[in-house]
Amino acid sequence: MAVKKLNKDKEKEALQELTKFRLIAPAKSDEVVIFKQITDPGEAFLEYGNSTVPPKKVVFPQTETLFRFQRGNPELREKNVEEEGTTVIFGLRPCDARAMSIVDRLFSWDYEDPYYLKRRELTTLVGLACVEPPSINCFCTSLGGSPFGTEGLDMLLADMGDHYLVRALTEKGEKLQETLSAHLEDAPAEEEKKAEEMAARAEGKIARSINTEGIPEKLPTLWEHELWKKVSAACLGCGICTYLCPTCHCFDIQDEVEEMGEGRRARMWDSCMFSEYTLHASGHNPRPTRRERTRNRISHKYSYYPKRFEVIACVGCGRCINLCPVNIDILEILEQVVDAS
Amino acid sequence: MVDVERLREIAREVISRDDVRQLIGYRQGTYGFRARPAFITSPEEVDQLIFSPACVNNLATYLTLEEKLPVPRGQEPDLRKVAVMVKGCDSRALVQQMEEKAYERERIVVLGIPCTGVVDMDKVEKRFPDVLSRGEITLEGDKFVLSFDGQREEVPKEELLADKCKRCRYPTPLVYDQLLDEAVERFADDDYSDVLELEKRSAEEKWAYWEEKFSRCIRCYSCRNVCPMCYCEDCVLDRLNPQWMRRSVDISENTAYHIARAYHLAGRCIQCGECQRVCPVEIPLMELNRKFYKDVEELYDYEPGTDAEAPPLLATFKVDDREDFIL
Ligand code: SF4
Ligand code: SF4
Ligand code: SF4
Ligand code: SF4
Ligand code: SF4
Repeated sequence: MAVKKLNKDKEKEALQELTKFRLIAPAKSDEVVIFKQITDPGEAFLEYGNSTVPPKKVVFPQTETLFRFQRGNPELREKNVEEEGTTVIFGLRPCDARAMSIVDRLFSWDYEDPYYLKRRELTTLVGLACVEPPSINCFCTSLGGSPFGTEGLDMLLADMGDHYLVRALTEKGEKLQETLSAHLEDAPAEEEKKAEEMAARAEGKIARSINTEGIPEKLPTLWEHELWKKVSAACLGCGICTYLCPTCHCFDIQDEVEEMGEGRRARMWDSCMFSEYTLHASGHNPRPTRRERTRNRISHKYSYYPKRFEVIACVGCGRCINLCPVNIDILEILEQVVDAS
Repeated sequence: MVDVERLREIAREVISRDDVRQLIGYRQGTYGFRARPAFITSPEEVDQLIFSPACVNNLATYLTLEEKLPVPRGQEPDLRKVAVMVKGCDSRALVQQMEEKAYERERIVVLGIPCTGVVDMDKVEKRFPDVLSRGEITLEGDKFVLSFDGQREEVPKEELLADKCKRCRYPTPLVYDQLLDEAVERFADDDYSDVLELEKRSAEEKWAYWEEKFSRCIRCYSCRNVCPMCYCEDCVLDRLNPQWMRRSVDISENTAYHIARAYHLAGRCIQCGECQRVCPVEIPLMELNRKFYKDVEELYDYEPGTDAEAPPLLATFKVDDREDFIL
């Protein structure tokens, strides 16, 4: 399909058109940018670096009802994801889209997760290329991504100043392009070349990197290495690095009983950095300190996941570095892994 | 400001002592202007130590955060002391922890840092975005001097100073074994103007305000984990049987969480501001803590973390306590 352009003065109209679906876009809450459902195009905030909380919460909600139950009634009322309707996530960054395609493998592995997969099927991802790498700690290029990367996306927008260059990438993207056709114009031929140059320039600005070669194989050999104690010494065991990570996907399942014997079974984000994660009923915890928890976080992303799914479960978005309160830096940890002997 | 050579010299003496197991201080961060906690166990590591206005963390947290593993049979537990560097506000956490008998005074060696204020890293990074190489921040007179990539920038102190420092009553540590520099005079005071503003609003306005903030909370519990006064071994939030607080994230549970935490900190919060600093979604937690702090000061004439000999507020009763707020 031909490359199109969306003039910025038509941006609001186009978003208005999309509100006939469940439209999720970055929006500001005070100074914090978070993806949320918007009904008024004015709420969308596209001049952003990257969101604090990744859009993974749209397909993998932080708290999700699996089904409801009632005392004396053997029937379970199952949740129907389809009722949430067709969803468009508008303006997410390429790393966050790529993260979803990585997490897809887990949710469709030994058991096909109906909630997650249904939602993914119903969702169209409209990416916003990074003309500027949004944070000093971006390192997507080390992991096969890039500021103009398309993996996982259905459509990619690139900010060209007074307009966006619009490229449909999948069937879903083409369908969306049709929906938006009244607001789009043909893009001049030289635009694509210009976008390529912008992409190369943006890539050149990525300041941090890691050579991941050999890391997945090496990690298991460093199980008892002293580096884990060193790199985790300052860790607070808070959940920031995992909750804000677009590829972290651990969850817990709990029953919540309400009044009158009604209740629900719900799943909710969990974090391997929490002290009660994998705490056994016996009181034994196989990961008793932050040393084992940090080792698990890194190993899961950079060793277990690639072993099973042939892809590292990190996209280099840099959130865990930006927001760790004590400056625990995954790139520094990986460098120590590379250097360790 | 603390002379780094002197700091290292003292640290070397302390960590060389037979009765000291570990020294907790600060070292350079991995990028930009950041500093981070350092855990020193041998004299060779002492040269990592720094102190600058970028040293924002309250290291007192680590005294109660340590995970105690069962000691293997036949081995003795390591009961040697832990040395810790504290600024004025951080020292109050030690005082309060000791007031609550979290540990014995003899267990720790306190290196006090007379403090002239730390920066708000968000303000720094807004002003100097994209500084990758490790930069340094020093205070010269009434200006912060930031050096990075061969550049030198001066910024009026006021513009980068952390809010808590603008109302700091105790810049010189209230407890220490050794002071790393001359004591500094108090240079600020707290008029609670922010709390007074909040108090003026109607209940509806207050709820609208907090509803917006609390609905952003992702319940990562960083505000709890970083807090030097949140050290219960068995936290009400982690309890599963019975479960006092649900893990589901919605406005009701989020609000319950924040109210529970604020109450558990009443008469105990020492205003280090760490909870608000770490919150990834910028919830102004200090506004809650400060309301309670002000109430405690007004109602009971009590300032937490200022007197290690004083009993904890909630463990005391005075016949002339004001009771006019009790229904
Ligand atoms: S964000 Fe930092 S302190 Fe918190 S759990 Fe992760 S590594 Fe530890
Ligand atoms: S591990 Fe860190 S850098 Fe990698 S995807 Fe997660 S948050 Fe981003
Ligand atoms: S509050 Fe006071 S003691 Fe604490 S960092 Fe600020 S000036 Fe220093
Ligand atoms: S740090 Fe912020 S987001 Fe995390 S639990 Fe506390 S208030 Fe909520
Ligand atoms: S509640 Fe916040 S300000 Fe008070 S002691 Fe805890 S971390 Fe410090």
